Amino acid sequence: MVEEKRILYEHLDVPDINTFDVFRQYDGYKRFEKAIAEYQPDDIAKMVMDSGLKGRGGAGFSTGLKWSFVPRDIKPCYLCCNADESEPGTFSNRYVLEKNPHLLIEGILICCYAMGIETTYVYIRGEFTLGKKMLDAAIKEAYEKGYLGKDVCGTGLNIDIYTHPGAGAYICGEETGLIESLEGKRGQPRNKPPFPAVEGVFSKPTVVQNVETLCNLPFIVGNGVEWYTQMGPTYGDTRFDPPKPDPNTGTKLYCISGDVNEPGVYELELGLTCSELIEVAGGLRGEEVKAVIPGGSSAPILTHYELDTRLDFTSLTLAKSMLGSGGIIVMNETRNIVDCLLNIMKFYAHESCGQCTPCRWGTPWVRDIVQRIADGGGRPDTITRPKFGVTESGRWGDTGETEEIYEDLDLLESVANNIANVDTMTWNTICVFGIAVSWPAVSYMRKFRPEFEAAIREGKLVTLPVAEATVPPEENYAYQQRFIPKELESE
Amino acid sequence: MALIKLNDLEIEVEDGTNIVEAARQHGIEVPHYCYHPGLSRPANCRMCLVEPYEPIPGAPPGTIGPARQLATGCTTTVRSAPPERKLEDKYDAIVQTDSPRVKKAREDILEFLLVHHPLDCPVCDQAGECDLQDYSYRHGHDKSRYLEVKNVPPKKDLGPDVLLYSTRCVVCTRCIRFAQEVSGTGELGLINRGSHDEIDIPRSHEGTPLQLLDNKLAGNVVDICPVGALISKDFLFKSRPWFLEKANSVCTGCSVGCNITVEYKADGIYRIKPRFHEDINQHWICDDGRLGYHYVNSEDRLQLPLKRVDDELTTTHWADALSVITEQLSEAEADDIVIIGSAQATNEDNYVLQQFAHDVLQTTQLGLFGHPLGEEHKFPQFTIEADKNPNTAGARTILGSANGNAVLEGDTLWKKVSGAKIVYLVNGGPERPLEDTEKTALENVDFLIVQDVLPSEVTQLADVVLPGTTFVEKDGTITNSTGWIQRIRKTIDPPGEARVDWEITQQLAKQLGSEMNYRFAGEIAIAIAENVTGYVDATHQNIGDAGIKLADS
Repeated sequence: MVEEKRILYEHLDVPDINTFDVFRQYDGYKRFEKAIAEYQPDDIAKMVMDSGLKGRGGAGFSTGLKWSFVPRDIKPCYLCCNADESEPGTFSNRYVLEKNPHLLIEGILICCYAMGIETTYVYIRGEFTLGKKMLDAAIKEAYEKGYLGKDVCGTGLNIDIYTHPGAGAYICGEETGLIESLEGKRGQPRNKPPFPAVEGVFSKPTVVQNVETLCNLPFIVGNGVEWYTQMGPTYGDTRFDPPKPDPNTGTKLYCISGDVNEPGVYELELGLTCSELIEVAGGLRGEEVKAVIPGGSSAPILTHYELDTRLDFTSLTLAKSMLGSGGIIVMNETRNIVDCLLNIMKFYAHESCGQCTPCRWGTPWVRDIVQRIADGGGRPDTITRPKFGVTESGRWGDTGETEEIYEDLDLLESVANNIANVDTMTWNTICVFGIAVSWPAVSYMRKFRPEFEAAIREGKLVTLPVAEATVPPEENYAYQQRFIPKELESE
Repeated sequence: MALIKLNDLEIEVEDGTNIVEAARQHGIEVPHYCYHPGLSRPANCRMCLVEPYEPIPGAPPGTIGPARQLATGCTTTVRSAPPERKLEDKYDAIVQTDSPRVKKAREDILEFLLVHHPLDCPVCDQAGECDLQDYSYRHGHDKSRYLEVKNVPPKKDLGPDVLLYSTRCVVCTRCIRFAQEVSGTGELGLINRGSHDEIDIPRSHEGTPLQLLDNKLAGNVVDICPVGALISKDFLFKSRPWFLEKANSVCTGCSVGCNITVEYKADGIYRIKPRFHEDINQHWICDDGRLGYHYVNSEDRLQLPLKRVDDELTTTHWADALSVITEQLSEAEADDIVIIGSAQATNEDNYVLQQFAHDVLQTTQLGLFGHPLGEEHKFPQFTIEADKNPNTAGARTILGSANGNAVLEGDTLWKKVSGAKIVYLVNGGPERPLEDTEKTALENVDFLIVQDVLPSEVTQLADVVLPGTTFVEKDGTITNSTGWIQRIRKTIDPPGEARVDWEITQQLAKQLGSEMNYRFAGEIAIAIAENVTGYVDATHQNIGDAGIKLADS
């Protein structure tokens, strides 16, 4: 039985941990004091790089690498804390904000010290009224105690934190959308490059970090890199010789919801398998697992064939899915995948910012197609198309065979792929919202095609038994990995 | 300069040119909606996707291949790269605009654009000059796969001259950016989100407009709209664009001298559109110029010469009118005659007039008449000048070119006029009310000859009225306030028996025994070039469509 490994959440349940005094009793701000006493800013940046910390917001980009892109000679430089946690199935940042806001402030202080930043904006999801209240109170307290404001702790550093509530748009969680919204404009992502690290808030270099990422910093500084890297697996990317280390270190706040007995946030070391995680969350509610969404609603779905996939950044990427924000939704045999997809597509059609053409008009189109199929309006016409799969060369391509497919399913796949192509991982959109739409649409349809076909055939939603509803891996290219690692070395 | 390989073409462009412009310069079309050379580049239509080539990571040095992601041609700029970063040892960029991937992407984007677009081309004003139509035809799918319900956002009245057919809108936001960046008035914005995006003006909750799109540059949003969403009320349902003839000309609404295209049929002008000139008006014109052409089509236009008989102006024929004038002129002393040229007329008209005054009548009393100063409007990227005459600078120089005497203007002119026996006044342009001093002065004149296009307070006082022509009925050149000499062109025939102004003056000169014999305006321009300082190269051929700057004296 896997144990929880509580680091960020260790003192979450301590009464009044949100107050400065109680937080102080549990090493509060001592890691920051250690940082300024023992390390130079560059040392901290190096520690973060060495720790292998990956951004916890969704993209899983190396935090140390991101910091290294920030030009050090352009000031002011800003820190944007992304607390616009809106990915369906994700609710871990919220607890930090509501229960232990001083931990976030300490993380921010360390980041500001390392990067020479004086101003931090915390962009909080508008619905997190309690979280904002608690954070504002904690910031006020930190100002009073001299940990924020002019001349922090007598070190000569000036650090200010401002909180900014969002107005309820999912897209403002995308870093450039967030920056636009923060600047008082319509929340629409920017074209990249330039990336925020070079040109972000008010056209100045900006570090955008998720709440969870920043909360990791006090522990990396407090306990050292070695302690941190012991948690979680480090893989070797075998495309390089010698294999390039691909660290998945630390813990992750997994938000488990859906058909499990004890849904909630669990802090666990990275690298656990799907089935282990379901066990941690009190086991499955129901007979058998039908599907698991591993990283928030935009992640491609996993079938019961893939339950031993390890839930870390690298393994899920290889499984053509993603860890994303760590929002894990478990579905049992009673769930209808067409219905699930409809639910998700309604969300994305509603949340598309409407800036660029493919997403603005493609997303509602995908929703309408799924809606039509779910309502029993799927056309029974079929077409014959080339079958793609693993070819003799072992690579992905046209197999030379053909397959019969319902016209509507072909249309669904084609429209979704026109927004962002999940096979080539290219998108015609400005931001990655496009791939967040087509990933679920295409993966649900490919992996649970019998259920979609049944809905079209029968003219109504039909929930098939798990074994019948799922396309086995060997027959389905949705499983095909982008590169096949010869051997993953685990430290 | 940057050397780029565009498809199989090796071309050289200025540093900082984007791919759309680089391709356009060499006759390759990269379709686009949101990109406009005069506005910022949000790259939101995704139509201009091109395939750049880049070094393949991990491969041996020098190996290049298509980039993983397509790039938007409007935001991808090229500039000279250092030698170690050249592709294939010499190119600063290699770009494909017609690879299968690019073609597929265009098809896909066009399919999305047409998902909610109504198929109302038969009743849409834009049909025939619509980017959506053209690109669909050239780059799009041949049929729609869309079976669902289309969005039908409402039709909106945005301002005095602009209607919005929201259904046709492709949300390229050109109009919004125009209102923010060029006019700086910011009336337009996006409301709602996602597929419900709509362009709108600020409104109260009940839908009452709080601010209208009524700035002086508002009409430009109709021009830059790539589809038929923004429509001019002035042009609405008047004509299909392919029936219109087009001629390059210059706006005569004020002294800026914006380059325009006059679109006309035999029965008059249908609309005026801006034409690009880098130093004068860029891509824009103001609504005063755009909608100020109506006087040309007016039914009140003077079509026949008028003569005062028993205190009534009655129509007559040219021979009669001219003989009345020559009779009066031949009897008068040179000092009793005042000749007044017009800041509304061309350089050619004024040149013939001053030649007539100087050589035939031997008078030095030359005046300049024009519209009074109006209001100046300044916008972040555009200015409408207070001088409402197109050719003040040119007329002043040319009228004064014969003798060293300064041209009479303002109070000195009217003082002279009050004491004169015969005044020959050339006007033109839209109707101009007279001020009291001007009126009194003109009333004192014994014999007033007025050459004009519309009946007005000036013609009311005249003894003989000669019907002249407007800026679309004659060839010629005008000189703007910043010293650009530009050409206007004859597009339509003058109404009735109205004649080109310089021809009338020349006819008078001939009847008084002059040997003046210009056959067309270009000949006068050559004479101007020979005789007037600053106009050295200003022949019609040299001026062309782009205009030339006054030469330094």
